[in-house]
Amino acid sequence: MTDGRKKRVTHNLIAVWSGSLILFLYLPIFCVALASFSKQRYFRFPIPAFDTQWYERAFTSLTVRDLVSTSLSIALIVALVSVVLGFFGALAFARFDWRGRRLYQRLVLLPIFFPQAVLGLALLIWFSSVGIIPDWRTAVIAHLVWIVPIVTLVISIQAYSFDPALEEAAFDLGATRWQTLKEVTLPVLWPGVVSGGLFAFLLSWGNFPLSLFTTGADQTVPEWLYAKMVSGYTPLVPTLGALTTASAALILVLGYGGWVFMRHRQAR
Amino acid sequence: MADPILRLSQLSKRFGQFEAVKEIDLAIQEGEFFTIVGPSGSGKTTLIRMLAGLEEPSGGEILLRGERINETPANRRPTCMVFQSLALFPHRSVGQNIEFPLKMRGVPPAERKNRADELLRLLRLPEDYYKKQVSQCSGGERQRIALARALAFDPEILFFDEPLSAIDYRLRKTLEKELKDLHRETGKTFVYITHSLEEAMVMSDRIGIMRMGELVQVGAPDEIYSRPANRFVSEFMGEVNVLEVQPNGAGLHCPVLGSTLQGPDAKADFASGYLVIRPEYLRFIGPGETAENTVTGVLYNEYALGSRIQYQVRVGEQVFLVEKLREQRYGGNLDDEVIIGWEARDSVLATE
Repeated sequence: MTDGRKKRVTHNLIAVWSGSLILFLYLPIFCVALASFSKQRYFRFPIPAFDTQWYERAFTSLTVRDLVSTSLSIALIVALVSVVLGFFGALAFARFDWRGRRLYQRLVLLPIFFPQAVLGLALLIWFSSVGIIPDWRTAVIAHLVWIVPIVTLVISIQAYSFDPALEEAAFDLGATRWQTLKEVTLPVLWPGVVSGGLFAFLLSWGNFPLSLFTTGADQTVPEWLYAKMVSGYTPLVPTLGALTTASAALILVLGYGGWVFMRHRQAR
Repeated sequence: MADPILRLSQLSKRFGQFEAVKEIDLAIQEGEFFTIVGPSGSGKTTLIRMLAGLEEPSGGEILLRGERINETPANRRPTCMVFQSLALFPHRSVGQNIEFPLKMRGVPPAERKNRADELLRLLRLPEDYYKKQVSQCSGGERQRIALARALAFDPEILFFDEPLSAIDYRLRKTLEKELKDLHRETGKTFVYITHSLEEAMVMSDRIGIMRMGELVQVGAPDEIYSRPANRFVSEFMGEVNVLEVQPNGAGLHCPVLGSTLQGPDAKADFASGYLVIRPEYLRFIGPGETAENTVTGVLYNEYALGSRIQYQVRVGEQVFLVEKLREQRYGGNLDDEVIIGWEARDSVLATE
């Protein structure tokens, strides 16, 4: 085999491999979207007739509105709280050297590695033993337990590359502590904060196992999807699934767009 | 002499058991370019951070024009520091960086812009750099931006924490001179720290040598060059010849050479110490020439140092370094037996 042919074959093999990988990753989501356009009540393949009635229903349904508002409330609060906690936690990690710092670092990161079902169950037992009746607010706490460490980790990466002399310089140049935070620390760590917030929102928005155990009588979108899959399937299930995925993707695209815009504005 | 702008009395800093700065007394005059030189770990950074207000002293006093400022935080001291990393704000343009201290003080934008333009001119930066990103500027330009930003604060004293240490040799030489020119132009008090005595020599009015938290010697560059207080200072200055000596009736006995040398008059309490001779004061002694001190050795090697040539001459165990201008280079070959010599007045006695 000549070198040129060898190269071409390698190239083609890589193309096939990455193509199938992408297909493997995205085909299920695509199928869900396909199923949502079905006119029939039961899922069959190939789809005999297409319709968008389930989308109309999704947008007008009171159930869906409740589900989305519950999921959205949880995700927004989780994103906000975890960004605030993660920001200061990351600064404490990266900036200060204190006794037990390493131990704290490990303890705080540990919940990431718990099986979420176990974590959910543990939290449920804990809530009931202290007499808290679970609803969507307990789910916020449950999500926080899992998500704050992740956000802290994401922001830490940015915080580690932060030169502490920047804050000292600002302070030395006459800025107050508050001005230093507002004018230097926050803007420099901003990319980390934004991506941490996005992570938090999306992880909470799509979370199933923790919500299942800790929402009590309230229901989030993923919980409802699961419940309906188990009994009472309608094409509203794939419709809502597709919409959830699309909105998550939209948020990611907006986040990326915002980042590119900021970079562009800074470069000018 | 006028009252000093900055006076340190018994200034100390401890980190746990470790004494980083030990009871330093020092007075810095208004308009002076004062440099503190010391190896890493000598406490010089801790010292300057205390002066800038970024580190709280454990003992002693810092007096600014006679007033105690130990407890005054950095943002309320009329002083400003240029950091080793320069600490330019990466998310702001050059202009915004320079304007930062003015913005913090609530100066209106138009006035800020004028001042920033003035400073760009003073530091010989092009006017269109105002809008440029810091990340697009070269090392030398960043240096000047950091200086402009510090000057925008209009401090009474400017502190420098080794800002030139990360810069390559040639640019550093240029910037050293620029900094000295800027010192003349602004008339402000500069307090500079570095680990390079060479750098300190170029710029400073006075130099303080620090070692293990203590000031070993304070003086004008000439004084430190010609009369180093001890062996540490003399070796810190670069390559020198150091001979262990003890006074005997006839002069200074040097055990390693097994001979008696002539040196400057020793103080009455000088029991043993070192005779220090700079390599450029040594010369090759030809036939018919004499010197107050002479030794015979073997020319082992030679090194070209730009305008000078350095020779390594071995006398038994002892290695001598001899430096000559290119034009006065030694005519012979390696492994020649040579006689080198120096005059008593060109050597210095130093203690440990």
